[in-house]
Amino acid sequence: MSEKEQGLSEPVWNVDEFLERVDNDQVLLRELLTIFKEDFPRTMQSLETAVTAQDLKSCARLSHTLKGMLSSLGAIRATAAAAKLEALSSAGETASLKSALKALESEAKSLLPELDAYVAEVRR
Amino acid sequence: MKILIADDEALSRRLLEKRLDRAGYEVIAVENGKQALEQLCKPNGPRLALLDWIMPELDGPGVCRAVRTRTEQPYAYMVLLTSKGSKEETVVGLESGADDYLTKPFNAEELRARLRVGERILLLEDRLVEARENMRFRATHDQLTSLLNRGAVMDLLVRELHRSHREKKSTAILLGDVDHFKRVNDTLGHVVGDEVLIEIAGRLLKSVRSYDFVGRYRGEEFLVGLSNCNPSYAPGRAEEIRKSISNRALETGKGPLILTMSFGVLLSSEWGQKPVEELLHEVDVALYEAKAAGRYCLRMAQPGAKVEASHEMAPQAVRRRR
Repeated sequence: MSEKEQGLSEPVWNVDEFLERVDNDQVLLRELLTIFKEDFPRTMQSLETAVTAQDLKSCARLSHTLKGMLSSLGAIRATAAAAKLEALSSAGETASLKSALKALESEAKSLLPELDAYVAEVRR
Repeated sequence: MKILIADDEALSRRLLEKRLDRAGYEVIAVENGKQALEQLCKPNGPRLALLDWIMPELDGPGVCRAVRTRTEQPYAYMVLLTSKGSKEETVVGLESGADDYLTKPFNAEELRARLRVGERILLLEDRLVEARENMRFRATHDQLTSLLNRGAVMDLLVRELHRSHREKKSTAILLGDVDHFKRVNDTLGHVVGDEVLIEIAGRLLKSVRSYDFVGRYRGEEFLVGLSNCNPSYAPGRAEEIRKSISNRALETGKGPLILTMSFGVLLSSEWGQKPVEELLHEVDVALYEAKAAGRYCLRMAQPGAKVEASHEMAPQAVRRRR
């Protein structure tokens, strides 16, 4: 729980940290966002299927992948949500998977518009 | 310097790839452990690797374990990337053969510093390998002419004779001696004598194919092995080699000098499987015959003529007359 609470106090997307990571390279930033917008929904979809099927092994693997990409992106709160889901899957806590997935989905809902907004702003 | 990154997650992989590219590395990026292993096992493959712990096909520690079973290739410096970083995990990672580990998300400065550690280790290995190769060269080559030394050329000859016997082919053994070499030393000095030997060594090497071999046998005697040599061509080829010495003057510090060589030649296919010492004795007898026939010629070792030639006078006894 504390992990999640800690996550909540953070911004949805730490764009400054991400910019630093890409050395302020807007082309690279755009490229990475494109990769994200392709891979993230696809992985999320597989994760939903795995959660429904109570497939713990796939849940752990997919949430780990999501954690990696979200962390690289600097999406701190969503990273925490994915980490929580991974931990639950590894611990075999089948009962808590659904709610953890919901939490991750809600973080994604606030994250995606921010990414779009940033791209739109840069374009202008 | 080449560096391998293995991560199944595309965004992190691309970010890392770009960072390392900016830092001046030649980056090879793959998406699973199997591909990582393939890259690391390639000749001239990357020697620095950043491996994600959790990957499909083969995980990071699995790659490390597999890479450490290689023995032929140079050392690979491997860093595991992990997101947990517990003590137990660290131990498992290092025990699998990883050199270091980094906990994600990692700081760019720390990453570069740790890679520099890896480069230092690799440089150290390169230096050791270079030193070993230098020692190996010195142990197998003649210091003056840089040809194979006696021990090395004998080893090679033994292996070649076994092979030609097995494959039912013939190896031609040529033993050549510089005619009147003692006169060169006595009249022009040992420096010129050395120059002559170096020049002759170079000409002998140039006159054979890449899979033949030339060694300094002793003093002014040279041993040439012609691998897989058709017996009917052998005398002609030996003649060519012999003439490559006398067909133009040798350049020395005291002016050009025309010297000749005499050769004994033996075709292994005519002798069956005999010990190398015996074959060398026979070719030595043939060389002696060439010397006795007035030098500047070659003589073939004849299996039938063996008895009279070797018992009449041991070649060692007449060596001084050359």
